[in-house]
Amino acid sequence: MNCRECVDHLYEFLDREVTPDLERDIRQHLEECPPCGEQFDFETIYLKFLRARCRTQGAPAELKRRVMRELFGE
Amino acid sequence: MTSNATPAPTPTPVDEKRASFEREALVHLDALYRVALRLTANPSDADDLVQETMLKAFRAWDQYEKGTNAKGWLITILRHAFINEYRRRTRHPENVDLDTIEPFAVFGEIQDDDPQGAFFDKIVDDEVLKAIDQLPETFRETLVLSDVEGMSYQEIAKILEIPVGTVKSRLFRARQALQGKLYEYAVSNGYIKGTPA
Repeated sequence: MNCRECVDHLYEFLDREVTPDLERDIRQHLEECPPCGEQFDFETIYLKFLRARCRTQGAPAELKRRVMRELFGE
Repeated sequence: MTSNATPAPTPTPVDEKRASFEREALVHLDALYRVALRLTANPSDADDLVQETMLKAFRAWDQYEKGTNAKGWLITILRHAFINEYRRRTRHPENVDLDTIEPFAVFGEIQDDDPQGAFFDKIVDDEVLKAIDQLPETFRETLVLSDVEGMSYQEIAKILEIPVGTVKSRLFRARQALQGKLYEYAVSNGYIKGTPA
């Protein structure tokens, strides 16, 4: 596997959406190629950051009441 | 329980429908709201869209196979309602050349000074959400389902009615495009030195 192929599968790998064979090939490439390893580490941090920032927001309490009222008349 | 206590009423089909709807559908209200807000970019429209989705879902509840993927089913209803009724008056589907986004510009810029991406820590929730709202709609909906709602490629493909391969390529470019925006934002706010792309 070369760097280009490795980077093409970057997010699939981080999302655990690759086949076991592909995962093994990527891991092997990352061990042998520090620049790709650094890039994967950076993207891992980025995805963690993204999730931490975007998952906190919830529906307003008034909307919850409105839905309950509309559905069940209360 | 004493012998003169009122016997518990037998659950009616209406009670059971309500109970299963609360258990499987209403628990996803927060997720639906987050998706609605990113699609409409307007809290009042998001409220209406979620409300409408819940009404439609309740009416169609008999068609939902209990215990399967309620969240995906609800988001599909929400997205169809958005496309049919809201998109026309809120946002217009953009004509963006999705191929023009240059991948990995950011890592190339920061790999010497900040390879650990410390600049991300300085960017707060609202700034990230604002940057997501600036993405083209096809990118935005894919990224929201994946990174905000944590859905698998297969689930996203089903909701968006596109092949898994298309989910992969859209997600790849959506994340890169967002990263580019966040980097530019960080540079212009002095969180990191560099030149905006």
